[in-house]
Amino acid sequence: MARSQDKGGAVIDILKRIIHEPLGFLGLILVTLIVISAVLASVISPYDPIALNIVDRLQGPSSRHLLGTDQLGRDLFSRVLFGGQVALKVALVSISVALGIGVLLGMLAGFGPKWLDNIIMLFFDTIRSFPTVMFALATVALVGPSLGTVIAVIIVTSIPNYGRVVRTQTLTIKSNQFIMAERAMGVSTRRILFVHILPNVIGPLIILASMDIPTVIALEAGLSFLGMGVKPPTPSWGSILNDGYTLIRNTPWPIIAGSIPLLLITLGFTFLGESLRDLIDPKLRKGI
Amino acid sequence: MLLYVLKRLALSIVIVMLAVTALFCMIHLVPGDPARILLGPRATPELIASMSTRMGLDLPLPVQILRFFGNLFTGDLGMDIITNRPVADIVFNQLPYTLWLIFSAILFAALIGIPLGCYSALHRNTWADRVTGILSVGCITAPAFVVALYSLLIFAVTLHWFPAVGAGDKGDFRDQAAHLVLPAFAIGLSWIGYLSRLVRASMLEVMGENHIRTARAYGLPERTVVYRYALKLAVLPTVTVIGVGMGFLLSAALFTEIVFARPGIGKLIFDSITTRNYPVVMGSVLISTILFVISTTVSDLVNAWLDPRIRAAL
Amino acid sequence: MKNTKHSTIPATDTDRRDFLKTSGVLGLAALTGASEIVFAQDKKILKIRTYADMRSLDPAYSQGVVDEEIQSSIYSKLIQYKPGREWGYVLDAAESIEQADDTHIKFRLKPGIMFTGGFGEMTAEDVKYSYERILDESLESTNTPDWGSLKEVTVESKYEGAIVFNDPYPPAWNIALPYIVGNIISKKAWEEAGGKVDTTTPCASGPYMHHEWQPKQKTILVRNPDWHGGDAAFDEIHIFPIDDENTAQIAYESGDIDCTRISLGSVSNLKDSPPDNSTIEEYPSLYYVWVGMNVENETMANANLRKAIQHCIDVPSILQASYFGAAEPSTGIIAPGLIGHRPQGMVPPEMNIEKAREYLAAADLSDGVSVTLDILNKSANVTTAQVVQATCAQVGISVEVNLHESGAFWSLGDSSAGERYKDIQLILNRYSMAPDPSYATAWFVTSQKGIWNWERYSDPQFDELEATAKATSDPAQRDEMYRKMQDMMEESGAYRFITHEATPVIYRNTINPAFRPDGLPLLRSFGAAG
Repeated sequence: MARSQDKGGAVIDILKRIIHEPLGFLGLILVTLIVISAVLASVISPYDPIALNIVDRLQGPSSRHLLGTDQLGRDLFSRVLFGGQVALKVALVSISVALGIGVLLGMLAGFGPKWLDNIIMLFFDTIRSFPTVMFALATVALVGPSLGTVIAVIIVTSIPNYGRVVRTQTLTIKSNQFIMAERAMGVSTRRILFVHILPNVIGPLIILASMDIPTVIALEAGLSFLGMGVKPPTPSWGSILNDGYTLIRNTPWPIIAGSIPLLLITLGFTFLGESLRDLIDPKLRKGI
Repeated sequence: MLLYVLKRLALSIVIVMLAVTALFCMIHLVPGDPARILLGPRATPELIASMSTRMGLDLPLPVQILRFFGNLFTGDLGMDIITNRPVADIVFNQLPYTLWLIFSAILFAALIGIPLGCYSALHRNTWADRVTGILSVGCITAPAFVVALYSLLIFAVTLHWFPAVGAGDKGDFRDQAAHLVLPAFAIGLSWIGYLSRLVRASMLEVMGENHIRTARAYGLPERTVVYRYALKLAVLPTVTVIGVGMGFLLSAALFTEIVFARPGIGKLIFDSITTRNYPVVMGSVLISTILFVISTTVSDLVNAWLDPRIRAAL
Repeated sequence: MKNTKHSTIPATDTDRRDFLKTSGVLGLAALTGASEIVFAQDKKILKIRTYADMRSLDPAYSQGVVDEEIQSSIYSKLIQYKPGREWGYVLDAAESIEQADDTHIKFRLKPGIMFTGGFGEMTAEDVKYSYERILDESLESTNTPDWGSLKEVTVESKYEGAIVFNDPYPPAWNIALPYIVGNIISKKAWEEAGGKVDTTTPCASGPYMHHEWQPKQKTILVRNPDWHGGDAAFDEIHIFPIDDENTAQIAYESGDIDCTRISLGSVSNLKDSPPDNSTIEEYPSLYYVWVGMNVENETMANANLRKAIQHCIDVPSILQASYFGAAEPSTGIIAPGLIGHRPQGMVPPEMNIEKAREYLAAADLSDGVSVTLDILNKSANVTTAQVVQATCAQVGISVEVNLHESGAFWSLGDSSAGERYKDIQLILNRYSMAPDPSYATAWFVTSQKGIWNWERYSDPQFDELEATAKATSDPAQRDEMYRKMQDMMEESGAYRFITHEATPVIYRNTINPAFRPDGLPLLRSFGAAG
């Protein structure tokens, strides 16, 4: 009980300190704003994001359509709001799954026998040796483009990033005298891993992950640009950009509408992540 | 040190072989018959079958993989059935375009990004730092294809400063350089952001370290401390990031080569995957994986060699 | 000694003066950005775009229009497509050519047509070799079907011969003689090269010669000084493979190319404010786009459901949204201007909710039904699919769109590659074609099931008509048969015809281009303006 109160206090403390840091504060505001607008998309949106209105197609911004309309006359502002849901879903699902697997493999590599460490590291290095887009292309060709495919690609390509950090941390903690003593006393490996090591690696990892969110969202946009992202008519920032690319000689608005949230969310998470890192663990970057 | 280098090299070879085998398995599970796609709509089933035999596609997968590596040792990457040219020729014909593109993009990004990062670090928490920060992160966000397209519209169509598509005339260096500017800009822009953020962070870290404090305490001028000592250390992580970032660079090159209709390995891979031209896919993936592994290994080694802290640990 | 010295000095002077003059001009040009003009005075170069890179210079392995654009510039044929708005032909290597009877085409070559590379004069023997090798099974040419029922070419004299068919084959005039398999190559040169060539060629006989291929970058053709037709208009033709139309248009506007197809979306903007010194022309196209329905699929086997979907798809909306109003609705698979084109389809282009509901009720599916629509991941298709999705939803048909990249898409209906062909329900498809109706109908016969007939449509009467129409000489009779075949396709409910698209092109007024009636460039007939 006392422990969890401590944690709660720490979170509030960190939030307080972030507020005093201008860029961190800006980041926090941006992230909060985008999360709220995505969650409340169905309340805020002035129009149905998938309702066609071909008569009003390709309009510029106006009081009726804040960001104009696309080639099917759909309201871009509404699509951008709903696109936020897709972006957050992709980011949350893929990063948390990748984190989970990465933590597990990283701890195994750091704590387990040397041969297991070698195999896992080899696996990580192999995955990392593919250019991401190429890997994505092959996967999409294999199972067809969809949101699920995008998420799977991101999970596989980001596991090594987290895994390596966890491994390094585990190795450091493992050689800690306290842990050595516990092991000598016969405390189970599982207990050591989950009670002593996990809580120590999870904080830095979450910061890392928050800084990965924009990368993940940009990857989704890139895949959608190649026509390998979400299924129509689901609105995503990537598919809005993809439409915009085709329409670039007719209207700049879809590209602007697609890139603004991408820009804001990147700014938000990067500044938030950086100031968190500066506050909690300035050495973290070295592990990457 | 020598042992370390050898171990690192051996590991690299294993990684390349694993990566290629993995990709081999993956693309053979992919739907789409290469013979059928390569031959086009007018091909009869008999023609397709005969083409498959010639491409060795009717053999069991392990045999195909073994054959691929077997041929590799004799320097043979296989033949492209359609144009009847050795895959090695095709890949090495395209590779220099991508290498030049990546090299100029990084050079451009380093020339702007590193000084920008230094400036931010030295003026930490001023408005100038914050504006630079927002601009750099803004640069990181910009997807390469959007930058590519807008730079085409502005600098090629409206201003006529640079040519728009292709890679320039063979043998005409100035023409080729002119064709390189916009694509390199499109890839380099986000790297300006990365590098400046990175240099800023590591600069701040290095400035806090003991020997820099000592140098200051000795009363060395701030400029000397920054440029002779701190910057040297702060640029180290940049080397690693560029090495590891090779994968991102190749991916960005793929987008850029498509938009600028430039020859190159990224476009080659994209085209050959979508047409299921397996011999070319395998050859070009092999080469780009090797490229990536070399660059990470080299950056590791350079880092180990440059940084006394790592060198001591070896 | 003295003399030599005297004679060299003035020469050097002139050289220097010339050099100064030239560098002055170059310097000025560099300042004003007019360097192209200087080069243009040196050499007349035509710079043009194709949508893909070349693959082969051997007519037997030509992969369609991209290769043919180059091959038709470097090789001669008996006849060539006539540039202009109506399909027709002009004589090229043939001095005369005629349909002697139903199965014989007699020709007489112009004397004195020389192959480059010292391979001598073109004779009837070369024509025989060029045509008959396409039929040679050991050569495995993909273009064999273009020759239809070709039996042989008989040589009657050095310049005279006859093309002999087993059955009447009228498409020969439209898609064989003036197209890919009509290219005449030198027998001697090919035999020396081992019977086939790939990306280089030993000889040319057309207005241009193949000079260099820079893969994924450009192909360079140079003028053939010995061409029998006189002097070609350009010293060089540079052909740039650019697959993306936005990029191609940018390349045009920045001056990198002189002529390109542009996207339908740009037409109205470009017409409103055309770039300087440019002309925009719109040609119809032969492509045909349709939504197909797999008649063997469990859900789609219900003919009333198929008919309901036919009436649910609103073609005018699709044309607005995906083709920017720059394309017309199609009535079938055969485009206007060709034999067999139907002036009107049976299902009108506009959607009809009442009819759709009636058919749906007849199908016993008034409560709604879910179907899938498979598409290739190109932007226009994605837009079309979303329009289909929206209009179908109005009558309770919910459509799930499956995107595929090209490799996976083109094997969807392939019954030799897994079981996926059974699960296909709706497909948005687009085929290209050559200017003869037989080229369009050939894919929808029973024997094409599982190959290109993904609807798995099958009707013995259709198959019979297809075979007969191909071998019928009378144009009026052919016309009637091909119309009937499209009626049958539409009646089956398995097809909803969308459009033939359009081919808008833009070119600089410094050139005098030549296009086929479907807007494809005929490079050999391009001229320089003024």
